[in-house]
Amino acid sequence: MFLHNFKYSLKTLFKNRMLIFWTFAFPIILGTFFNMAFSNIAESEKLKTIDIAIVANSDFQNNEIFKNAFEELSDKNSDNQLFVTKYVDEEEAKDLLENEKIVGFLKMEENTPKLVFQKNGISQTIFKYVTEEIVQTSSVVENISKEEIQKEVEKGNYTFNAEEIVKNVLDKVQNTEVEFENTANKNLNYMMIEFYTLIAMTCLYGGILGMTAINQVLPNMSNKGKRVAIAPTKKGVVVISSFLASYVVQLIGLALLFAYTIGVLKVDYGANTGLVVLLALVGSLTGLSVGVAVATVFKVGENAKTGIILAISMVGSFFSGMMGVTLKYVIDKNIPIINLINPANMITDGYYALYYYNTLDRYWFNIASLLVVCAVLLLLSFFSLRRQKYDSI
Amino acid sequence: MENIIEVKNLVKDYKELKAIDDLSFEVHRGEILGLLGPNGSGKSTTINCVLSLLKTSKGSIKIFGEEMKPDSYDIKRKIGVIFQDVSVFDELTVYQNIDYFCGLYIKDKATRKKYIEEAIELVGLQDFKKFLPKKLSGGLLRRLNIACGIAHKPELIFLDEPTVAVDPQSRNNILDGIKKLRDNGATIVYTTHYMEEVEILCDRVIILDKGKILAQGTTESIKDLAKIDEKVTVEVNDLSNEYIEKIKQLKNVDEVTYNNGILLVKYKEGKNNLVDMVEFLKKESINYNKINSERPTLNDVFLELTGKELRD
Repeated sequence: MFLHNFKYSLKTLFKNRMLIFWTFAFPIILGTFFNMAFSNIAESEKLKTIDIAIVANSDFQNNEIFKNAFEELSDKNSDNQLFVTKYVDEEEAKDLLENEKIVGFLKMEENTPKLVFQKNGISQTIFKYVTEEIVQTSSVVENISKEEIQKEVEKGNYTFNAEEIVKNVLDKVQNTEVEFENTANKNLNYMMIEFYTLIAMTCLYGGILGMTAINQVLPNMSNKGKRVAIAPTKKGVVVISSFLASYVVQLIGLALLFAYTIGVLKVDYGANTGLVVLLALVGSLTGLSVGVAVATVFKVGENAKTGIILAISMVGSFFSGMMGVTLKYVIDKNIPIINLINPANMITDGYYALYYYNTLDRYWFNIASLLVVCAVLLLLSFFSLRRQKYDSI
Repeated sequence: MENIIEVKNLVKDYKELKAIDDLSFEVHRGEILGLLGPNGSGKSTTINCVLSLLKTSKGSIKIFGEEMKPDSYDIKRKIGVIFQDVSVFDELTVYQNIDYFCGLYIKDKATRKKYIEEAIELVGLQDFKKFLPKKLSGGLLRRLNIACGIAHKPELIFLDEPTVAVDPQSRNNILDGIKKLRDNGATIVYTTHYMEEVEILCDRVIILDKGKILAQGTTESIKDLAKIDEKVTVEVNDLSNEYIEKIKQLKNVDEVTYNNGILLVKYKEGKNNLVDMVEFLKKESINYNKINSERPTLNDVFLELTGKELRD
């Protein structure tokens, strides 16, 4: 029964021209337009160095970790230069910020960094993220140093050189963990952001597939569903096989999109192909679950449901930077809840994280967020689907 | 006589509206039971309740002697349903549609193939197996709809207005097919608002209105409920009131109406009133074009019981 329904769900989905257009053709057409529109400006959009200032007070001068980190990231001779840093006093830093010569400045107060910005944006986010990473590193150095000193004390050596121990730990940590590399210049440009949102949008368009597949087997949604409901088949078997069929169709659509953008448009998704694909797989799952939830929760016709899914996909992609990343940051700053629950943002943010940052924390956070959204939506659908009889059909 | 379906005191409320009001009936093995009633009388709702698709407010439903529930898979295996609206996949061919729905009941591929061929033959779609539904006429589409519901050879078949908006040729084909199904041993519940179909097809009839049973029995026994026994219709021009009053005085006459050149005389009893009428017309030298006599129809019974036509 599972395979029988799976086979015919695949057939009906593949032969549904409207679905195939939205999930296969539309993303490819949109990708082609993006390529035509943005390929010329891609070069000029490479990530530039970020102008910042640091209040060169004694707290900063005495903090070796911060001093070394910012020196390294501001090294003109390095390929990885991320910042152009001015070391000034606080008044001058404020003037520079006011005159928009810098995106923000850092002031150490004892061992706590304080960041001052006038606006929010991608540069400010990077500055903030780097600072947070350095704080984490400081904490790691402090903890390891304490352990090393403890070990010396336990050995009965009370004449250790504490300064040397800290320096050794710092060297070790810097060589192994703290590598701020500006990898963005290699692959990340304005066009790439558009392609990330395109993938996000495609993942969410999968919702139409999920909705159609589920509608076909629900008695309160279609006459075909009534027929399925009166057949001696368990609803769970039919729903799950239909869901899987729509997932397969969605993955084929995504595979075509990747093949087209890589093979024809020569889009370079970078070295982390596995992670790029994983995010697309999880994003698609969430997209489908949006469709299933819309199919089961909203008591409206199929066209209205399609409209709801398209609206969620388009608005979500818009808020996550499809028409320019500025909006994403405006939303992040003013109404952060929107992007916190916006699956499109989770997908695009996951891709940003993959290319902007050297650690995968933010990437995994987005993967986890997508899975949580997926689980919540499927749970919601489950309670709605659990009904066996209807008040009206 | 074995009861295949037993419905007792069934009630279905939609907030203020009572869609089914204390309905009780049985369906006997091997019969075609007609549910006759105007649109909105509760026919489809009754079927949906019996099939356990709709929640009921009160009452009990037994099919094949067991309580019908959404997970009564053994019962469902023996049921076939043809819904009022065509329920097929636009993306699948005629053969694939039947295969899909039949496959929900029959796992074995060889058996399924045989059953599908038989269903296609029964509804006369042999030449259209590879056609997509959009290439079929309305009548052929209805036949496909039927084939999808009966291919798995159910013992109990529900047909919910299967001939709505169907051309006469397809209608005859469908009605013949239903008779064949009954002859092959199926029990059939047939809903319609076409009384002619009920008269041709059904062994017993339940007349519904506003969710209530108005009458049930064989067509003849229901017709006996009518207070009239014969209707004589005469096509006559310019009949004066004087003559109409005279006709009212004739033997057995219950009611006389004259509209648009048609004289309708209803008789309380008797089966030879036509001769009396012809003699009257001759005696009074009234010229007429056509005259005919008929027994009361189910529509007359419905009219008497509710004051409205079946197709209102």
